[in-house]
Formats: sequence, C-alpha cells, structure tokens
Amino acid sequence: MPANALLSTLSTTPLFAVGLTLAAFLLGNLIFKRLKKPTWLPAILIAALLLAATLAAIGLPYDTYRQDAAWLTFLLGPATVALGMPLYQQLPHIRALWRPLTICLPIAATLAACYALLIAWMLGSSPLILASIAAKSVTAPIAIGITEQIGGSVALLLGALLITGVATAAFVSLAARFLNIEDERIIGFALGLNGHAIGTVRAFEISPAAGAFASLGMSLTGIFTALMLPFAWHLIGAGG
Amino acid sequence: MPALNGFLWLVSYWLIGEVTVYFTGLPVSSGVVGMLLLTATLAVWGRVPSTIAAAAQPLIGLLAMLIMPGVVGVFFILDELAGQWLAILCALIVGTLLSVTTTLWLLKRLMEKMHAR
Repeated sequence: MPANALLSTLSTTPLFAVGLTLAAFLLGNLIFKRLKKPTWLPAILIAALLLAATLAAIGLPYDTYRQDAAWLTFLLGPATVALGMPLYQQLPHIRALWRPLTICLPIAATLAACYALLIAWMLGSSPLILASIAAKSVTAPIAIGITEQIGGSVALLLGALLITGVATAAFVSLAARFLNIEDERIIGFALGLNGHAIGTVRAFEISPAAGAFASLGMSLTGIFTALMLPFAWHLIGAGG
Repeated sequence: MPALNGFLWLVSYWLIGEVTVYFTGLPVSSGVVGMLLLTATLAVWGRVPSTIAAAAQPLIGLLAMLIMPGVVGVFFILDELAGQWLAILCALIVGTLLSVTTTLWLLKRLMEKMHAR
C-alpha cells in the first residue's frame, strides 16, 4: 500500500515525530486561545488529544513515536536545571516569609502526596499505580525524575499531573471562598504547591503577586518532594 | 551567541548533577541536583548572567511542549489500566480537594500568627 510506504519513509527520520509534536503543540495553543482559555481544558490537554488522534489515524505506533520524539524530550534535563533561575529570583520572597513557609511547606507537600496515596490504597490500587501518582503535585520535569526513581509509570504520572493541575485550579477559588481567604499570596502559594505548572499559570491570571507565590510554591514542593519522596519510598519498601 | 553560551551552562550543571548522583547514589534526579547547584551559584553571584537568562527563559516556556510526548502516552495505556481508572480519578480529585483546603487553611493560620507578633 502506498500510504504505508509513505509512512515508513517519513518515520525513518525523527524529524517526523518532532514536526508532529510541534504542530500539535502550536495548534493546541491556538485552539485554547480561540476558546477563551478555559480553566478545565488546558492547552496541553488539547494538544495531547490532537497528537494522540493523529498517531492513531496515521497508524504510527506510540513506541516508535516516543523514541523519535526523544530528540525533544532530552531537553527536559537542561530545562529542569533552568528552573533554578526563577527559584533564585524568588529568594527575597522566601526570606521575608521564611517562618510560615518553612512550617507550611513540608506539611502541605507531604499531605498533597499522602491524601491521594491513602485514597488510592484504600480503593485497592496496585503498587505500580501508587508509585505513578505519588508525585502528582510536582512540576513535570522533576516529577518524571522522581517517578523513574521509585519505579512508577511516567505515562500514568503525566495523566495524573494533568488531572491534578486542572482540579487544583478549580478547587482553590472554591476553597478560598469557603475559608474566607482573600490574600493573593496564600491563594498563589496553594495553587503552585498543589497544582504545579497548571496552577501557576492560573495564579498569573489572578495577579503577578499570586503568580510569584505560585512559582515559589511549585519550586519548593518540587525540591522538597524530590529530596524526600524517594527516601521515604525506599524506607517503606525496606520496612514492608 | 548568548543563548548558546547559557545553554552550555545548563547542560554542564545537568552533567555535574549526573556525576554527583552517580558517585553519591542519592535517589534524586540529576536535573534537581543541577537546579539546586544553579540556584546556589546565582545566589553567590548575586545576579542572573544574561547568557543564562537567554537560554533558561525560552526553555522554561517550552516545558509544556517537552512533556507532550509523555502526556500522549497516557491515551495508549488506557486499556492496561481498565478497571483501575475510577480509583485513580477518585484519589486524584478528592485528594487534591483535601490538600488544597489544608494548604490554604494552614498558611492562613501561620501568617496570622506571624502578624500577631
């Protein structure tokens, strides 16, 4: 069949997978803007749906696509290092509020993982699923590293990140109204701590101050979880 | 070529992270080690060199695209996880509602305490 021959010719070079990814990403962003930026449907979800539908339609196996797209994903390493820059820029915020933040962060970041793990465990989820959703509130590049360390599925983790981010953006405004909280620093911090990059984008829509505190919450949660979760996982694994 | 110069910095820090993880056996990813080392270096310098900003800014903007090949994978494991989805969704959504509420309440209390002093 000529269509099959064409597909195998195109997919001999990784540029085909790279091109598909870029096209889906840009188109997803365009559609997101046209839809007036809905909170419940982030641009990355639109782009991922487009890409998955395209792969299924042209019959390109996901494993082939992923291997070729590695030409893009290897940039995740330096991109994670790049997060050190915004973290440095927020050091003044950390210094000004170090006392409440140092008490709040370990408790809140631990609970962000434990609530979900506890519910999943009670509902009888397998150890693989638990390892895959443990880093659900951590920003993607760091979370991928953590999940690989503790032996979870990266694909499931990324799905969990998407759901968590969207849920956080929706629940924070709801809970803030319920708890009578108007301080944008608190709202921003909660968005970043629980909802990683998706929550941070939402916080920047509220105000720059909320955005700065969201980036702070996101970075600190990422570091704290990256340092603690693999250790905790090894301890529990050794004990049980 | 300021961006290329900055990119070399980022790659070098990642490689230093890789070496550190290899020799110490820390269960942390090389990217996180590199990120912390970069933050510490910038804090010592007291400013962000324009070369590093030129490389870091666009890379951070592209994060969503860099994770897309992985995100797409979730649609291809839907079958493998059949029957588990309800538990996963429930854990993520209820867990997130609980942790969002806890974070907001806790930080509000802690900041009120600080202002009371």
